[in-house]
Amino acid sequence: MTRILGIVGLVTALYAALLLSTPPAGKTDNLIDVANLQGQYGIVTLGAALVIIVGGIDLSIGSVVGCAAVLFGVVMKSGVHPYAAVLLVLAFGATVGLVNGLLVTRLKLQAFLVTLCGMFVYRGLARLIGGTVSRNWVTDPRDPAAHPEFDQPLRGLRFLTIGKDFNGELLFPGEFVLLLVLAAVLGFFLHRTAYGRYWYAIGHNELAAEYAGVNVNRQRVMVYVICSTLAALAGVLLFLNSPSVQSDAGGSSWELFAILGAVLGGCSLRGGEGTAVGMVLGAMVMPVVDNFVNLRGMKSDGIPAVIGLTLLVGTIIDEVIRRRSKAGKV
Amino acid sequence: MALRLTFLTALAAFAAGCSNSGNNNAASTVPAGTKPKIGVVTNTTDPFWDLCEAGANKAAKDFDVDLVFRQPEKLDAAIQMPIIDAWVKQGMNGIAVSVIDPKGQEEDLTRIAKKVSLVTMDNDAAESTGRLCYIGVDNHEAGRAAGRMVKKALPNGGTIALFIGNNSSANAVGRISGVLDELGTPEANGTPGKHPTKPEVNGKFYGKYFLVDGEAKTDGGPGEKAVTNTRDVLGRLEGVTDICMVGLYAYNPPAILEAARAKSLVGKIKIVGFDENLETLKAIDKGEIEGTVWQDPFNYGYKSVEVLAAAARGDKSKIVGKGQIPYRLVTKDGGPDQTTNGLVIQNLKAAVVEKKIRDDLASVKK
Repeated sequence: MTRILGIVGLVTALYAALLLSTPPAGKTDNLIDVANLQGQYGIVTLGAALVIIVGGIDLSIGSVVGCAAVLFGVVMKSGVHPYAAVLLVLAFGATVGLVNGLLVTRLKLQAFLVTLCGMFVYRGLARLIGGTVSRNWVTDPRDPAAHPEFDQPLRGLRFLTIGKDFNGELLFPGEFVLLLVLAAVLGFFLHRTAYGRYWYAIGHNELAAEYAGVNVNRQRVMVYVICSTLAALAGVLLFLNSPSVQSDAGGSSWELFAILGAVLGGCSLRGGEGTAVGMVLGAMVMPVVDNFVNLRGMKSDGIPAVIGLTLLVGTIIDEVIRRRSKAGKV
Repeated sequence: MALRLTFLTALAAFAAGCSNSGNNNAASTVPAGTKPKIGVVTNTTDPFWDLCEAGANKAAKDFDVDLVFRQPEKLDAAIQMPIIDAWVKQGMNGIAVSVIDPKGQEEDLTRIAKKVSLVTMDNDAAESTGRLCYIGVDNHEAGRAAGRMVKKALPNGGTIALFIGNNSSANAVGRISGVLDELGTPEANGTPGKHPTKPEVNGKFYGKYFLVDGEAKTDGGPGEKAVTNTRDVLGRLEGVTDICMVGLYAYNPPAILEAARAKSLVGKIKIVGFDENLETLKAIDKGEIEGTVWQDPFNYGYKSVEVLAAAARGDKSKIVGKGQIPYRLVTKDGGPDQTTNGLVIQNLKAAVVEKKIRDDLASVKK
């Protein structure tokens, strides 16, 4: 519980700063916008956090997001129905995770290197299979190669998963709702089943877990599969939510946001620590800061520094609270 | 499946009906004596946009406007649109945008234009979006002007390569097609073939000109890729004479020059540019680059804020008509005005333009 206190305090403080910054910040539609962005980053944060809990790292998340988004557009353009395309893209994500997991567990390669290579491979793959993809590109009735009949199912999917109506107006934070559902499922496995105990045990002490009879390799592979599948799902959502996705930019740097969210949410990079609630809270930080600088109308040149410094200060406060609470226990 | 689809469609259509306030620019006008709030968002970060920002800042002072100017860190519509959405919610009275993907962003911009006065600059979107006007040059005509500079640099034909950030935005499509139309008329689509002296290099012939790879090389925006693209092409063309490299975004000519310097090819190959990067202008003055097509981004920023400020006060007379923003040529020695395709084009000296740009930048604190 004490591990959560720091991030709860940070999120509360950031929301307070946001709400006090300008009157429009507290408007419902703005808060819905922020929540949706939290959902977007939160879904990849869940995957990154799981990998971190078992003592690994996945740097290929952003490239998998971009590649999945491009793949989603390309397969639909080739005539695959959107619903089937979603399944295909999720299968692609699972395959990526399987490859990552097998390379880490069977060939005993370092996760950092495997996924760093994956970062380049999947970005390159995205660029190979497509340039810029968008719903309009897939469904444009003026393009004989397009499929206008997919427009309705795509808008329906967008409404359900993103919360945008037929005009593209955001009505409810669909991605945040999806994040909560996924976090609840993940939380159930993490905190209420043997799988969760295996994952924490592997992260704490892999050798001890192995001696205790845990099939470490299988569990690790499973976690990488979950992580990359969630990244692929995020790619589908990125496609549905964005005006267009560029193969060289879509999902770029998301692995860093995901790792940041996981660590802020209480996951230790040494493994063995983290909660589903913490992951959601950790993922909520960055979008609030982003919205704050947007609404304050800050100068472009200063924005990255402001975001970085805010996150750093947040991390320091969070760490101080944790140390004090630990010291208090002792 | 069909039943589910119908349900989803009906649900979303109902939601659309609920949310469609149809307030058509209700937030765009301000009461008398109130400062309008204007946002200007570019397509990426570049010195080209610093000039635009200086112009917008000057207009903000001249027309008493609260201005927010954003240069997103990447050339990506997925990064640009959330900025615009946040501004709408913030209650901006007008927004100017350099559109990245006109097709992909069409629906979102149409939605935005219903709520706020919207102006496109540098890069247009479809008129059906409901934008007030487009502030920028005719990119196809400007591309043709670059094509004429290529013809002047290589009058007997030769090998060309085109470099640009992307090939989907309106200005990219216009500029690329403009250059190739000028070189290839009447074979505007090009004839696929192999390079006459380097058969391993494929491409397309446009009249007397061979285009390496048959298409513009894209780099995704300012960065190292712009240099490596050029370096790679120069490497593949080693030993070939009569080469002209054409950089179609502001950062491309300096990137080409850097790659040419690395291979000691400055002066040996021809370079034609676009926009008014100070490095480009200096190189034109030294004779290292043939010339560039000048769009005057300072004026884009100034006009965008002027039009939106006037619209916010109920005055639509400042709206810019099609073709009213001219492009200009910049060469080492300048020259007389030219009339081409009904447009009067100024040909200015690089040193004069460089001084004007430095003055523009200095006139308003960034």
